[in-house]
Amino acid sequence: MRKWLALAAMCVLALVVAACGSSSKSSSGGGGAKQLGGSINGAGATFPQPVYEEWGAEFKKQAGTAVNYQGIGSGGGVAQFTAGTVDFGATDSAMTDDEVKAAEKKGKTVHVPSVFGSVTIAYNLDGQKSGLKLDGATAADVFLGKIKKWNDPAIAKLNSGASLPSQDITVCHRSDESGTTKLFTTFLAAYSPAWKNGPGVDKTVKWPTGTGAKGNDGVASCVKQNKGGVGYVEQAFALQNNFTTAAVKNKTGAFITPSLASTSAAGEGITVPADLRFSAINAPGAKAYPIASATFLLVYEDMCKAGLKADQAKRVKAWLTYATGDGQKVAPKIQYGALPSALLKSAKAKVAGLQCNGKPIKG
Amino acid sequence: MSALAAISPRRKRTDLMFRSLLLGATLLALVPLVLVIYTLISKGAGAWNVSFFTTDPTGRFFGDPGGIKSAMVGTILIVAVAAAIAVPFGIGVALYMVEYGKGTRFAGIVRYFVDVMTGVPSVVFGLFVYIVLVLTKIGGGFTAWKGSVALALLMLPVVTRSSEVVLLLVPNSLRETALALGAPRWKVILRVVLPTALPGLVTGSLLAVARAAGETAPLLFTAFGLAATSANLGGQMNSLPIQIFNDVQKAQDRLVERAWGAALALVVMILLLTLVARVVQRRSATA
Amino acid sequence: MEASSLNARGDRSILERSPLAQLPDRATKWILTGLAALILVIIAFFFIRLYAEAHPAFAKFGVFGFTFDNDWNVSAGIFGALPLVVGTLITATIALMIGVPIAVATAIYLTELCPGKARGPLTIMVELLAAVPSIVYGLWGVFFLIPKLKPAEQWFSDHLGFLPFVGGSVAGPSYFVAGLILAIMVLPIVSAISREVMATVPVEHKEAALALGATRWEMIRMSVLPYSRAGITGAAMLGLGRAIGETIAVTLVIGNAPVIGNSLFSQGYTLAAVIANEFNEAASNPLHRAALIAAGLVLFVLTLLINAGARYFVRRAERMGGINAAKGDAGARVAAPGAAA
Repeated sequence: MRKWLALAAMCVLALVVAACGSSSKSSSGGGGAKQLGGSINGAGATFPQPVYEEWGAEFKKQAGTAVNYQGIGSGGGVAQFTAGTVDFGATDSAMTDDEVKAAEKKGKTVHVPSVFGSVTIAYNLDGQKSGLKLDGATAADVFLGKIKKWNDPAIAKLNSGASLPSQDITVCHRSDESGTTKLFTTFLAAYSPAWKNGPGVDKTVKWPTGTGAKGNDGVASCVKQNKGGVGYVEQAFALQNNFTTAAVKNKTGAFITPSLASTSAAGEGITVPADLRFSAINAPGAKAYPIASATFLLVYEDMCKAGLKADQAKRVKAWLTYATGDGQKVAPKIQYGALPSALLKSAKAKVAGLQCNGKPIKG
Repeated sequence: MSALAAISPRRKRTDLMFRSLLLGATLLALVPLVLVIYTLISKGAGAWNVSFFTTDPTGRFFGDPGGIKSAMVGTILIVAVAAAIAVPFGIGVALYMVEYGKGTRFAGIVRYFVDVMTGVPSVVFGLFVYIVLVLTKIGGGFTAWKGSVALALLMLPVVTRSSEVVLLLVPNSLRETALALGAPRWKVILRVVLPTALPGLVTGSLLAVARAAGETAPLLFTAFGLAATSANLGGQMNSLPIQIFNDVQKAQDRLVERAWGAALALVVMILLLTLVARVVQRRSATA
Repeated sequence: MEASSLNARGDRSILERSPLAQLPDRATKWILTGLAALILVIIAFFFIRLYAEAHPAFAKFGVFGFTFDNDWNVSAGIFGALPLVVGTLITATIALMIGVPIAVATAIYLTELCPGKARGPLTIMVELLAAVPSIVYGLWGVFFLIPKLKPAEQWFSDHLGFLPFVGGSVAGPSYFVAGLILAIMVLPIVSAISREVMATVPVEHKEAALALGATRWEMIRMSVLPYSRAGITGAAMLGLGRAIGETIAVTLVIGNAPVIGNSLFSQGYTLAAVIANEFNEAASNPLHRAALIAAGLVLFVLTLLINAGARYFVRRAERMGGINAAKGDAGARVAAPGAAA
């Protein structure tokens, strides 16, 4: 019987050796100008996850550093960033004053806006193409559960001529704390007093109806699996799944379909505070999609004091430099809006101002 | 009263009816198994090819989603470390209860609390390790070895209780013979008790490993996730259950397909472990 | 030095070993005792730490208020776990109502009626249900069970709306689907323990019944079932313990809505699922974190009580059967479902 044990031990050993071998191979890949190597861990919003994954692959080629980004929702991103379990966080809705204060224990937080995206209202309705018209109040009633069928008079009134089925509406929403939810509820609350005084505006609200799912992906999956389903997802997710999406009434009264152009239009003409914590919901432009926003990467101004090693801080800074540099050219390819030039300038300044133990980070 | 009284037709009918009901229920119990295995194979096997096992998930939003190499390697590593903690620990405790603490109050208390441990839901163990090790950032935030610790906590009571049963099966006469020949107690344990019980210990441990390999919740809280293959237990690590958990909640067919493929791989792994455990058990039974 | 050691040797019987030779023996004993003690330390630490971490939630809402207030509203900082507790109990009840009768029937069939050749393979197949991991059941539930069941549920809801807890619109993920998946998951456990308990029914009892002219079913009803009732109760309770703690499969198919649904086919939430979904976000919010840990603690206490009850019944059944530990300690069986053949 001792043979058995020996055999088992050998198997385990062989596997460990095999694993070590393969990992050392993979970490020596890549061939950019300056090799930083190693890896950095981030977690947070699922809204920009597609673009961060694309950037991660590019950044790995350039700097040799692997970016491990886990999409756990903005709430999780802010929380894990504050708890210091990740090298950088990510959120779609800027941290609230309370959250900033909670993170202050580790130091001053820096919001680096990375890209613009749109929250689409996606639906799964037989025979219905993209462009179903919705305004804030009607959308709020759908998500409140007051409008239960697709041929409800309120929807029909906005879409004269469209043949709407008497299909039940299945609402899909987030189960995790999400910046996407905050953006969406901000929009709903602006047009619906019932929403404002009911579920309210936050990263997670007490949903009166519907199925909760994890991440933008989960909501997309829910919409896809339910005939008559409706949910709110970032544009890239709608695009990727060939979803039909609603044209939403903006501040000027025009119905705008989500697109790269209307997303970028939302980034223009908005006022941005010095700490860059801003929102682009209900942007003033006539061509602006009303539920668009920038999404943010979160770091501490002095990363080393917050617990990162010096070379790790260097990698994070390089990653942010990439995001606000070459990354901006990649973003539009997957339908994310690049930052407007004024905002990009301030974002770059924030990245340049990052420190390690009081000293600027070189490279 | 005649012992061979004829059974009335009504009683015969009742008998037949209940017998067929029982048979029907047994067959009904197997329906989910057949359905699960059928769906797994029909949807999972399609995802299987060489690159599925030799590439890491790319995480790319469009195009090739990549395979499950990092998840397989991660599961094997995390579970191996968990077993390295839980198996010696569990067998040690079982040895104490059988060899030294038999009938003592202390052993009774230990046994009681080991039983309590078996009932703790895996998510609570995950939460516990998350609070005690992850949030306190002992040796980094999310790391694979913390996942191993959480799994070891799950395995520990299983190993202990199954080992205890097996050790109790070792005939006392063997122990007494060895002791009478002048062997010290530790040598009796090492040379007589353990070798005699070895097949049973291996079986119990393998079944505990099989159970731990499929656990998701504890890893979600500890090893987190990572696309790339990694052997660094001090960093985040991918695993099959986490890979499946992430892919299930995706809308894209190519990712859901990977989830099926990974699920099939996980089930095959667990069944192989269970099979080996049974073979060891059967061998010892016939030997 | 020499004198004293001589002296010592003089005091010893010839059979006794020298102190040096006793060392490994002592070490073994202390190490093993230490390991056993370490388990107690870990459990004590586990419990104390959980309680201390959950304390803020209990202090703010009260143990009773936390468990029975119907408002789980993270953004408002209000944590009343009733929707979760109710969801946990509903799904577990469905699981038992479906799972236990089938499991017991399976156990009876396998121990009393099954032809010898089919018994082995059938037993293994039932046990295989336990080998499938939770996540795989979840995956199967999402992509197979939910879409396949939805039309049937809708029909049921439309035509049998007069029944309590039935009617209204049918959501894909629901209490019912979660309960059904849990039923599949508890089935092998309940079946295995019931089988073991039934195996302890004395042959004399069964033969006596048959000799008196009882049919097979009458024999089962008169001697097997009464004899193993306590054990079956225990088995069902162990199933219950498993059902309420199950996390991942349930998370995927329950719909994650922190409200009390108004029908069996509406979305809900469970204690375990809420922990899995929200732990990430609670990392830096002390009250939210405390509330999740409190949910874990409530879950832990529930399972503890249920398992203690289960163990009591199983032990009682064992004593009745008078089986020795060697033959099949159902307590250990509880620890390792599927461990004994």
